[in-house]
Amino acid sequence: MNPTLLAQQILNGLAIGSVYAIFALGYTLVFSILRIINFSHGAVFTLGAYFTYLLTGSAINPNGQLARLFGGLFGQPALPLKLPFILALLGGAALAGLMGIVIERLAFRPLRERGADPLLALVSSLGVAVALVNLIQYFFGAELYSYPANPFGALPAAINFSGEGGPPIIVRTIQVIIFGVSMVLVVLLTLFINRTKTGKALRAVSEDPITSSLLGIDTDRLILVTFFLSSFLGGIAGALIGLSVSIAGPYFGIAFGLKGLAVIILGGLGDIPGAVLGGLVIGLGEAFVPAQYVAYKDAVAFALLFIVLLARPQGLLGRALVQKV
Amino acid sequence: MAAFINTYGFLITSMVLAAALGLSLYLPLMAGQLSLASPGFYALGGYIAAVMSTRLFPSTDGTYPLPLVLLEMLVAAVASGVLALIVGLPALRLRGIYLALATIAFVEILRVLSLNLPILGGAVGIFGIPQPFKSQVEYLWIALPLLLLAMFFVYRLENIRMGRAFVAIREDELAADAVGINPTYAKVLAFTLGAILAGVVGAVSAHFLNTWNARQGTFDASVNYLAFVLIGGSRTFVGPVVGGMALTALPELLRAAAGIDGLPSWLALFLREGRLILFGLLIAIGTVFFPQGLITPNLLRRWFGRRRATKSPPLPDKHVTQE
Amino acid sequence: MQRVYRLAALLVVVALVISACGGQQAAAPAVAPTQAPAPKATEAPKPAATQAPAATQAPAAKATEAPKATEAPKATEAPKAAAPSGEPIKIGIAVAQTSNVALFGQEQVQGAQIAEDLLNKAGGINGRPVKLVYQDTAGDEAGAINAFNTLMNNDKVVAIVGPTLSQQAFAADPIADKAGVPVIGPSNTAVGIAEIGDYIARISAPVTAVAPNAVRAALAANPNAKRVAVFYAQNDAFSKSETVVFQRTVTDTLKLELATVQTHQTTDTDFTTQVTNGIAAKPDMVIISGLAADSGNLVKQLRELGFKGPIVGGNGLNTPNLFPVCKAQCDGIFVAQAYSPEATSAVNQTFVTAFKAKFQKDPGQFSGQSYTAVQVIVEALKALDQKTKLDTLDLAKQRSELNKQILVGTYDTPLGKISFTDKGDIKQEAFYTAQIKMNSDGNTGRFVFLK
Repeated sequence: MNPTLLAQQILNGLAIGSVYAIFALGYTLVFSILRIINFSHGAVFTLGAYFTYLLTGSAINPNGQLARLFGGLFGQPALPLKLPFILALLGGAALAGLMGIVIERLAFRPLRERGADPLLALVSSLGVAVALVNLIQYFFGAELYSYPANPFGALPAAINFSGEGGPPIIVRTIQVIIFGVSMVLVVLLTLFINRTKTGKALRAVSEDPITSSLLGIDTDRLILVTFFLSSFLGGIAGALIGLSVSIAGPYFGIAFGLKGLAVIILGGLGDIPGAVLGGLVIGLGEAFVPAQYVAYKDAVAFALLFIVLLARPQGLLGRALVQKV
Repeated sequence: MAAFINTYGFLITSMVLAAALGLSLYLPLMAGQLSLASPGFYALGGYIAAVMSTRLFPSTDGTYPLPLVLLEMLVAAVASGVLALIVGLPALRLRGIYLALATIAFVEILRVLSLNLPILGGAVGIFGIPQPFKSQVEYLWIALPLLLLAMFFVYRLENIRMGRAFVAIREDELAADAVGINPTYAKVLAFTLGAILAGVVGAVSAHFLNTWNARQGTFDASVNYLAFVLIGGSRTFVGPVVGGMALTALPELLRAAAGIDGLPSWLALFLREGRLILFGLLIAIGTVFFPQGLITPNLLRRWFGRRRATKSPPLPDKHVTQE
Repeated sequence: MQRVYRLAALLVVVALVISACGGQQAAAPAVAPTQAPAPKATEAPKPAATQAPAATQAPAAKATEAPKATEAPKATEAPKAAAPSGEPIKIGIAVAQTSNVALFGQEQVQGAQIAEDLLNKAGGINGRPVKLVYQDTAGDEAGAINAFNTLMNNDKVVAIVGPTLSQQAFAADPIADKAGVPVIGPSNTAVGIAEIGDYIARISAPVTAVAPNAVRAALAANPNAKRVAVFYAQNDAFSKSETVVFQRTVTDTLKLELATVQTHQTTDTDFTTQVTNGIAAKPDMVIISGLAADSGNLVKQLRELGFKGPIVGGNGLNTPNLFPVCKAQCDGIFVAQAYSPEATSAVNQTFVTAFKAKFQKDPGQFSGQSYTAVQVIVEALKALDQKTKLDTLDLAKQRSELNKQILVGTYDTPLGKISFTDKGDIKQEAFYTAQIKMNSDGNTGRFVFLK
């Protein structure tokens, strides 16, 4: 393999992987604190993308009930405000975060209060996911949506990473942005959990919820914080990935859910830097599938997962039998 | 009555098959192993039946001989069993959620493989699978005995040494090991039994659905079967049976509800368009209100105490027939 | 415990509120067509109640043009056409209104709604109104069978339009065939659909007919192209069949060089690997078989990563849903079309005008096909009714006679003049090749006819 192609494939792998990583960040956060897999994360991710879409003041197609609602209220099938993309992104993510709180209250807390099997949370969150996806379809229709063009001003569509005159090594600008954002987020999240008081309390809850509540930690509030953060991150991921590949209908996030699982397991279940590493490893694995075997690309993530699980059941960065954040 | 059978014959049979699939996931769970591999074996069984009946025994016109279906089921059972051993031996060293994810990986790898094997027809799959019966409801002749047999088998299993070993492992694997149970043997056995059942159901389903393709064995199916077990109740074999039937019938019940005359038009419309919104909410609410599942051992004991003669499982089934 | 109940109660209330407001507004489009325009004109007092939301809602939604576009013509034209009356004749529509296939099913519903509207306005079936009964198949095989069973036995329809996917058709069609209910597949393109049985027909052209023209058109515009890279969605039945035709056209018919074949899944969004592989093979031309979302992203990523040559899209790209995905980069794609909203025939223009008035956009291929399927059934019913009055036949006889009638007729539809082979496959005269021309806003565009 010539060096240009090698460099191109490495960059491709990082670009693909950062999409997986940014999706998995919020996903893994809930697992790290509560040891439950929240299947509705994919739906919240989707919701974040749609909320952001609404806040940019873009129009809803007639198939979505919202078009009629807004038509009645504002005389147009859109919200009467046009936020710049960055603000809409933050607003959409915040709304997704609130949705996370609602979901926690509805589907997780009642189970936790009864000390039910954590597996049940998986099923109730599945129910929430089914309901959310179909609600999205009810309100927005099944159409594809995309954000207004050039949200960051006139950036070029792609960036050439090769030196002057050399053969081009090109990466799409939005993928560079996603990579950057996911790196910033993982650093912030790690700092938050390791350095702040809330973060330390969160770790205590994840180690032992009962003892920590005896020590005066408000477990309930912290779990809400966790869900808000997780869904907020999901919302950011949804809007950014939506910007990269458009919002491909109500099932947009569900398509990422399965690979997202592979990503967080590969990195070490519940390990936040691990999720990013897992994402990048799978991305690189997929980028290096030889051209003639690209039909098997989707099996790569799972073959890697299978092998890693058998060789290192605790994941790449995980430590066996040690609870961690 | 005839109209009812025509409308819901397919649904009733698919409820029975779903119940069997729920059991296939319940079997490893009996031994405390959360395996989501059933859809993989289900897909495998279906492909075996589909290939055998369309390639090996190109059907003469008319109905497909029933003994051949039974033969396909047998082949599917053997193939699933062998594959389960190969996958299960290494994978069952994993525990809890890790095992679940390894089995999901297995299902996904099988799916990608089946899309790429020319004999399996790619995305279109295999179609025109010959029919041993004249109508879909007659598949009950196979599906019902299969389910009853599986239920009886699991019922017996719960009361013999090996079954108790399963339960012992579920409660505490280390302790079970200490009292002389071979956990690896028991776990692999439970996994393999579940796989065989799923493979056999797949073989029947390929005929039942007329066609077979890579969309049958997916992650979504894995999660659905898990919901069968957990909504129905994971502590008795009646649970997955009830759960499989209830969750399969529910979307169709909501469809039927939308068709009831005299509903306000907005409600009928919402039932029609928002059918799956309600379906999802009902799953979530069901889990929250019945954290042990709909059917628990205590509940069964109470029933059996009061009226011994009545059959316990087909409760939601009766509910359906009333609609 | 207390809290759980409160939450559940809250949930139910929320659900009801949602359904109440959503439902009432939704009632407007869904009920209006079945209510038929004519009764509205003749028996004014009664429909007022049901039509009220439509009247108030519609102008609000489309502040300026609503009255002239939808309301006025109905009121004035209605008296001219014979007002359909009597027991409506029911036709089933079994398409994917939910699941990840809903994008297509939704367009099919829209096409069918327009068909019901226009055909009833034109007098229905010799004076009897047509009523479409919708049953959602979702995206799976079992769902299609359940929807078919409900339509055949519960709703007692004379014929069914559906299902959306070929895989679903292979599951549900044999059951309808056995029951003797005519089925017209609006979008089933796989080999072997029409062969399922006597009662199964389709109005979606098999891929062999549509695909090659677009490659020829692209080649005519770029005569120096030699090397071709082919991309297709391997988990989509249609794309998988189509790419075989494309590849054969490239190597056998046009004697070009197949530089590389890259596959993906319809659920994929990132095509960096495939695009890098593709560009590394140095193609002069790219051919894509896929659906809207994946193909749109593939096109976008091909362009952004530096591919400058012509792109040919299969029939799956013949949808306006492509535009929001690849935006300005959609410009210039050559697309094989089985339906074009730009076709100039009167019947197509009537359809397109009505569709635009109701949905504020051009109809896509799925809408055109479902409209055509309903039209074929209605016209066959009309012809049958003229021979033997429909009410003298029982349902089974209506179905079997209708099936015979469908196969012998010729129809002037938005797809052009069509008829059927003995097996039930479509004989379509007009196929189109178009080139996408994006508007300067980068979000909307159209398929411009090439010949």
